[in-house]
Amino acid sequence: MGKHDMRRYLNLIILFAILFLTASPLSATTKNEDPSEALVRTIAKDLRCAVCQNQSIYESNSDLAKDMLEVIRDKVNAGESEASIRDYFFQRYGDYIYLKPTKSGMNMLLWFGPAFGLIIGALALITAFKKWKKNSIKTATPTTDTDKKMQARIDEELKNIDV
Amino acid sequence: MKNSWKIILLLSLVVIMALFAGGLGNDPRDIPSPLVNKPASDFTAPTLKGNGNISLSDYKGKWVLVNFWGSWCISCVAEHPYLLELARIADKRDDFLIIGVDFRDTREGANRFLQRHGDPGYKHAFDPKQKIAIDWGVYGAPESYLVDPTGMIRLKHTGPLYFGWFEKIALPQIQGTNSGGKT
Repeated sequence: MGKHDMRRYLNLIILFAILFLTASPLSATTKNEDPSEALVRTIAKDLRCAVCQNQSIYESNSDLAKDMLEVIRDKVNAGESEASIRDYFFQRYGDYIYLKPTKSGMNMLLWFGPAFGLIIGALALITAFKKWKKNSIKTATPTTDTDKKMQARIDEELKNIDV
Repeated sequence: MKNSWKIILLLSLVVIMALFAGGLGNDPRDIPSPLVNKPASDFTAPTLKGNGNISLSDYKGKWVLVNFWGSWCISCVAEHPYLLELARIADKRDDFLIIGVDFRDTREGANRFLQRHGDPGYKHAFDPKQKIAIDWGVYGAPESYLVDPTGMIRLKHTGPLYFGWFEKIALPQIQGTNSGGKT
């Protein structure tokens, strides 16, 4: 294979790679979607399907979620704002309905508690490591007189052992 | 220094254990309704029998038990004998009545249910798209709300009502000796 052929193959590979990377599936196009449906989706993705623990209304297949989606669609079509629709569900189901807890009140503990705990834990580990290091240096070298005496005796006994 | 870390560690362990202990006692299905002590949302819907409409506001001035149910709901079968009994209690009182809301259901299914398990005689709103149920923050069936004569929701009961519920839970409300909540 000549150098020229190699370059041609390389170009072909690059061309296919570009085509592959920029291609999008036919079904993924949203350009023909009703603009109000995008808002319905945004709202429904943030609200919890009340009967399925950890799925949004948009993703769930449960009957309640489907009917809730219908309620959202009706309200969007009636011209209600995103905030007022979210509030409608909040008034009826409480903050359980939000998939992401709101950043207020006791919920702040959920948002920032783990990070706080991590910092405290890291500080504790650093202090502990420092202490361990200090202690290990201490035990390695005999410092007191008795230690020296003991060391001398050990050396002596080791010499006298029959091998 | 050495002791302060030990105390912090012990305290955090105690806090975590306390949170777990508190969490164990919670029923994940039992989420408090924010609607208690708020005005009940009025509704007008066709009756299950198909003879006209029913509105909650028609019954202002009385205590109304709004019972959400469906023929697809197994717990509703368990609850039904008590609803028959409760309907007899309501018949004897002029300050208390019951409305059923049959939701996410078909008329045939619901009427068959009443034929099979007994018809308590009170009116039911028919809510196939569960618009009323969602408006009332319903999760499943059966769920019941006690609405006071001014139209305020005074308590919510999740799950089947049980024999003795009226005397134990509803009556203190009606007689004004309880400030409300969930049961």
